[in-house]
Amino acid sequence: MAKRKQYDRNAPGTKELVDRIVHGAYTTQGTMVAFPLCFPGMTTPIPADESHITALDVAADGVIYGGTSGRQAHLFFGMFHGATGIVFDMGAVEDADHAAAVCCGQGQFLACVNGPAGGRILRRHFQGLPFDLLQEWGFSRPPFEDLGEAVPGEHIVHAVADAAANRAVVATENHLVSVDIGEGKGRVVGEIPGRGQIACASRGGVVGVDDGALWVYDADGEVVKRQAVPMPEGDWDDAGLTWGRDPVTGTLYTADGQGRLFAFREETGFSECLGTVPLTPVGPMAVTFDGRLFGACGDGIGKTFCYNPVTGAMDALGVAVSVLERRRYGYVFGAAATGRDGQIIFGEDDDLGHLWLYFPRILRPPGLTGA
Amino acid sequence: MSYEVTWYPFSEHPESDSCWSLSVGPDGRIYASSCCEGVPGGTVKVVRYNEEADAVDYLFDLDKMVDDPRDSGRATQCKIHYSFAPSMHDGVMYMATHLSGPPIDLPAYSPWNFWHDPERCFRGSALLAFDTKRDEALWWDTLFPKEGCRCLLHDEDRGLLYALSYPRDHFFIYDLAKRQRRDVGRIGSVNAQALFIDRRHRVWTTSDYGRLIRYDPDKDRLETSPYVLPHNPEFQTGWHSVFYDVVGSPEGDCVYAVSWIGSSRLMRIWPDEGDWGRVEDLGPVTQRPDPTTPANTFQDHCGGVVFGADGQLYYVASRWNDPVYHPMSADRRTNEGVVWRLDPATLEREEVALLERPEHNAQYVSRGAPDHNGDLFFGHVGPSPVGLFKLHMPEDRKKQDAHLPIRMWG
Repeated sequence: MAKRKQYDRNAPGTKELVDRIVHGAYTTQGTMVAFPLCFPGMTTPIPADESHITALDVAADGVIYGGTSGRQAHLFFGMFHGATGIVFDMGAVEDADHAAAVCCGQGQFLACVNGPAGGRILRRHFQGLPFDLLQEWGFSRPPFEDLGEAVPGEHIVHAVADAAANRAVVATENHLVSVDIGEGKGRVVGEIPGRGQIACASRGGVVGVDDGALWVYDADGEVVKRQAVPMPEGDWDDAGLTWGRDPVTGTLYTADGQGRLFAFREETGFSECLGTVPLTPVGPMAVTFDGRLFGACGDGIGKTFCYNPVTGAMDALGVAVSVLERRRYGYVFGAAATGRDGQIIFGEDDDLGHLWLYFPRILRPPGLTGA
Repeated sequence: MSYEVTWYPFSEHPESDSCWSLSVGPDGRIYASSCCEGVPGGTVKVVRYNEEADAVDYLFDLDKMVDDPRDSGRATQCKIHYSFAPSMHDGVMYMATHLSGPPIDLPAYSPWNFWHDPERCFRGSALLAFDTKRDEALWWDTLFPKEGCRCLLHDEDRGLLYALSYPRDHFFIYDLAKRQRRDVGRIGSVNAQALFIDRRHRVWTTSDYGRLIRYDPDKDRLETSPYVLPHNPEFQTGWHSVFYDVVGSPEGDCVYAVSWIGSSRLMRIWPDEGDWGRVEDLGPVTQRPDPTTPANTFQDHCGGVVFGADGQLYYVASRWNDPVYHPMSADRRTNEGVVWRLDPATLEREEVALLERPEHNAQYVSRGAPDHNGDLFFGHVGPSPVGLFKLHMPEDRKKQDAHLPIRMWG
């Protein structure tokens, strides 16, 4: 190996290089805000080792619902618009240590949690907006409605609400279950090994990996089509598969074990490889209203990235760091969702996990460079 | 009374820019780390005070001992940071390295930036067992990969080392017999600078928000105190009031700690009282600062908290010239390192010495320790080369084996 020469700190460009190394490490575009799992100044956060956020969904009114994993699973809501600014711990779930998914319906949400005995589905009504969290408030903690096991003895792998937010489709270790959120009743609709995340696609079908292909579940027709769409050529780690969904077009994004990113639409199937995510494994992803995909990638100290479908650019955005509300580094994320105004909500899958609100950089109109 | 002070620069390591670790070894001698984190390719040398020669001995270059050469292109084994921990039954001094020194061919290092870069990323904290009886390294291991060790503690009864990693601020347990590490979990972002252990083998540190964090082996869980440690109520919230330095009382029933923040507070903690111990706020140790300016971490500082053989608490707190809040005469240094002696019974303190370097200020002291003769030593962080101070204790305030009971953490 060639001997390395000691860097001359008087070399031209040193300051710029130091700045790139040091400051270039952190969020390079937009703003990250880490919000604790509490009402700051009013309540204690969810205990640190029970606060790994692994499930998120956003209701139509913009309220965020989520679930944690760790020593014990908790369910919470968060609201950040109007005179709010709170995360409220709706309670720990007995005999559960993992939140696999939260699915928002119309007026109620389902939470899919796992424990030593398997997976269960809980339900609770949505949280109304409080009067004003700068002035006065009151909260209660009604019990969850336990809808029972999804499939006896099986853990829940993932779940999503359908496009109309009437049903939740639940993937267990070996089955697919359709649950009517309003009625609180479910039935097995297929015998499919659950692997990785599932997602609601562009025509409303729910998809999941199926041994080198996708299965597609038509929630209206209640029909599952196995091996419906072949996966593109790639290194597919089914168990760790994640999806990001464009809330405007329904386009889904996923990446293989090498970080190669693909888009999927029911009408057209998978795209060609769109680019390579900077690090693997590729974690949770979500899409803002202008179509840009944001996600987390890499282990240990993960970084964030952005894929812009208009330009085709794939940008590394650095390590998440928050200097507003809480001063915190964000290393591991377990869930992501699109917020009411297009901000990206990341759930931190770490001890003392926070909800991270990411406000992407506002893009300049093409051709305008500024005054 | 003013104690005599002698300065020992690490002149054989001219690039040394920080002496983060200074501890008494199981042999009663003073060990220190001559660190170099500002120079590309800089590495740490382990030194020891030689009382016969009244000089510093340079024991070894740590990068060579752990086969992680300074010119590898990775971040270097540049320092030992509050991470000496003695082992009394076998005379071993454990030490674990920390990061931040740039690779030899780069001007800076960021553990966040290079975490995924196999060419640049720090190999990991090297844990070295040094036999102080035979002056030889017995073995080394990687305490944890990619990260540095901010502080280290030895529970000798149970054969366990405890450590905080940087930058991820994880709490690790290392089993010395099995040479296995276990990651218990993350605490936060700021990273406390000290751990201590109580009589029930519980290990304590602090969170970003100035709360006590306690690992109870019986519960195998990190718990958070329901209260915030003392801090300046005028402009602080408790955030960043993490431990900087902690020393146990000679009786072993309480500890004295200072926080790592401007207007550092001295506190006394009785860990065995009640569910979460009892904390006494003994007040700020430095002067009233300008509350409109964030305190300069390297100016408003307190470290070197140590008990003397006279049963009195000693620590080094900075003092500086502030034209508005604390004007000092022109013939004084702009920053001073003041050695205070505090009576634990009355809580009255007296100034017993000023630490002075011939050409530079000496307000930043990292750690202090008594040697077996009862003299006190303090590690200094400042202009190169750094070094250590010896505080010559008056004869009536010394005793043999003054280092006992020995401090088991860095």
